Amino acid sequence: MELLVSILALGSTYALLAAGIVIIYKASRVINFAHGELAIVGAYVFHSAGFLTGTTLTALSLATSIVVAAAASAFFGVAIYLALMRRLLGRPTFVAAMVTIGLAIILKAAIVVIWNSRSVGIPIGRQAVYNFAGGGRITWIDVISVLTCVAAFTALAIFFQLTRLGRQFRGAAENPLLAAQRQVNINLILAIAWGVAVFSAALAGVLFGSRSMLSPQSTIIGLSGLTAALVGGLDSLRGAAIGGVLVAAATYLTARLISPTLAETVPFLILLAVMSWRPWGLFGTVEEINRV
Amino acid sequence: MAKPSPYLLVSYAQTNRILPEPYQRAVVGILVAAILLLPAFSGDYFLHLMNLCLIAVIGAIGLNLLTGYCGQLSLGQASFMAIGAFSTAILAQRYGMPFFVAIPASCCAGALVGFLVGLPALRFRGIYLAITTLAMHYAIIYVLTNYQAIVGPSASAGITVPPPSIGGFLLTSERGWYYALLIAAAAVLMFSLNLARSYIGRAWVAIRDRDIAAEATGVNVPRYKLLAFTVSAALAALAGSLGAYFTTVVTVEEYTLELAIIYLAMIIVGGMGSIVGSVLGAVFITLLPYAVQRGFDALPWHFGTTIFGVQQAAIGAAIIGFLLFEPDGLIEIYRRIATYFERWPFRYREIKASSAR
Repeated sequence: MELLVSILALGSTYALLAAGIVIIYKASRVINFAHGELAIVGAYVFHSAGFLTGTTLTALSLATSIVVAAAASAFFGVAIYLALMRRLLGRPTFVAAMVTIGLAIILKAAIVVIWNSRSVGIPIGRQAVYNFAGGGRITWIDVISVLTCVAAFTALAIFFQLTRLGRQFRGAAENPLLAAQRQVNINLILAIAWGVAVFSAALAGVLFGSRSMLSPQSTIIGLSGLTAALVGGLDSLRGAAIGGVLVAAATYLTARLISPTLAETVPFLILLAVMSWRPWGLFGTVEEINRV
Repeated sequence: MAKPSPYLLVSYAQTNRILPEPYQRAVVGILVAAILLLPAFSGDYFLHLMNLCLIAVIGAIGLNLLTGYCGQLSLGQASFMAIGAFSTAILAQRYGMPFFVAIPASCCAGALVGFLVGLPALRFRGIYLAITTLAMHYAIIYVLTNYQAIVGPSASAGITVPPPSIGGFLLTSERGWYYALLIAAAAVLMFSLNLARSYIGRAWVAIRDRDIAAEATGVNVPRYKLLAFTVSAALAALAGSLGAYFTTVVTVEEYTLELAIIYLAMIIVGGMGSIVGSVLGAVFITLLPYAVQRGFDALPWHFGTTIFGVQQAAIGAAIIGFLLFEPDGLIEIYRRIATYFERWPFRYREIKASSAR
């Protein structure tokens, strides 16, 4: 039972990361290799913003953190699109992917320079909500993680299915040329995609940081998120949610049952398995993935 | 009889010459002389940097054959280098093998692993291939981490490699290493330049440009993709192996994903699909952190330990900058300058053709 809660909580972090990768991939067919870095930098910003109003952690500082991190991450996402990705439209998508690799290096370096590689934790929601008889417990942050994830996915589903912009988004994802000819503002759509994706990455980073310590090495969670996105299918939000939980479950169970060092490699073993069995993932569209 | 124009090519052999123009041969001659005489004018520190560059040159050429020529985006370079380094460490340290046995054996080990990694990669192109090689990287590193824990004195200490002896001469000084690595790098350079202009190299370029068309013209695509992986991994293993001897200690922590990305940065900065470009890129990216450090030492304020972050950021900025503004890399800048002087006083913009260099 306690294991299930841990898996769900970690899984929701991975699912949020995967959602961001899926949104960017859907919109522009670019795989974002900087997602883990964006998440961790978001969490660092969240942590630092908490100290703007004083040195102690209060409701006010928490609110500042949330507002600052949300605004900064969404703004930063749009900025990435406008400054970098927009120039690469029409170039092969792997060029854009390599640019995100460069971005990842810079962001990781930013953690070293700005935060001095300090290891920080985000101390929220450590109290128990419910204690199991066997000694395990559910903490507030577990509940918040799962709820945030559910809320984020519901919001995204509503956005894509019901709003005008969401329909335009799906149209642009399917056929950018036709959509542009129907007066869909592709630049706006892509900027929104990056804003939303970086925002969700920061959200995942904060949830991750409230569970374990943040350091430049934590950026590796981006690759877990990428695995989750690939397992579920790179263009399927539903797949991202399920993939996140699956990857979290596999990682957790390996750490518990076999060895913690193997657990770090498990996402990549899953990745290899998925790539050789169903490269388009569980829920992804079967496209000719060879063609890039 | 009038002298024929130097621009009139009358045979395929002429189109495939590595240095078609007399002035190019002169420039290369001067460069070779300068490189050979370099140790007479520089200290050990500078030679050490040059040695690092030479090792990077070998690895970068290997990656460029795979990624630049054959078009197979690979993030597995660091793991291939790790295979070479570990093979060398095991052969030299545990079994006491001499230098000239350990190096070829390590290359063969790298080639074998490259072949195996290439097998599943036959199914993928572009970014999916990059993800597959990324997963392969972590799988290989996991195996090596466990191996290091068993073989080495402790899980994190690494394996020491004895200094190699070549013909009774113990290779320990920077100057000795400089000439040894220079011979190795020159051999790799000549091998790759010739490979690139031969049938194999042209088959790779055909696969990169359009693999269906390549298949239609009779290129055995799977075979040549696998060959690219094998050759590239062998060269990477050679670089890893020489690096192991050079640094005298092998730890798995050295071979991170960052290293693979740094090698990718070298060929992006130098120029994809250009052997000479990979040399330029390798030197540029290897020296960049030291240049950044020098630059910041001159400034009135100090970064302290965070200088490491600035160095990393410089590499990231170099990747992004070159991809956005100079996608063909340093070699393209060189070509522009060379063309300008070649055509002077006329202005002439060459129609872009894929070049074997």
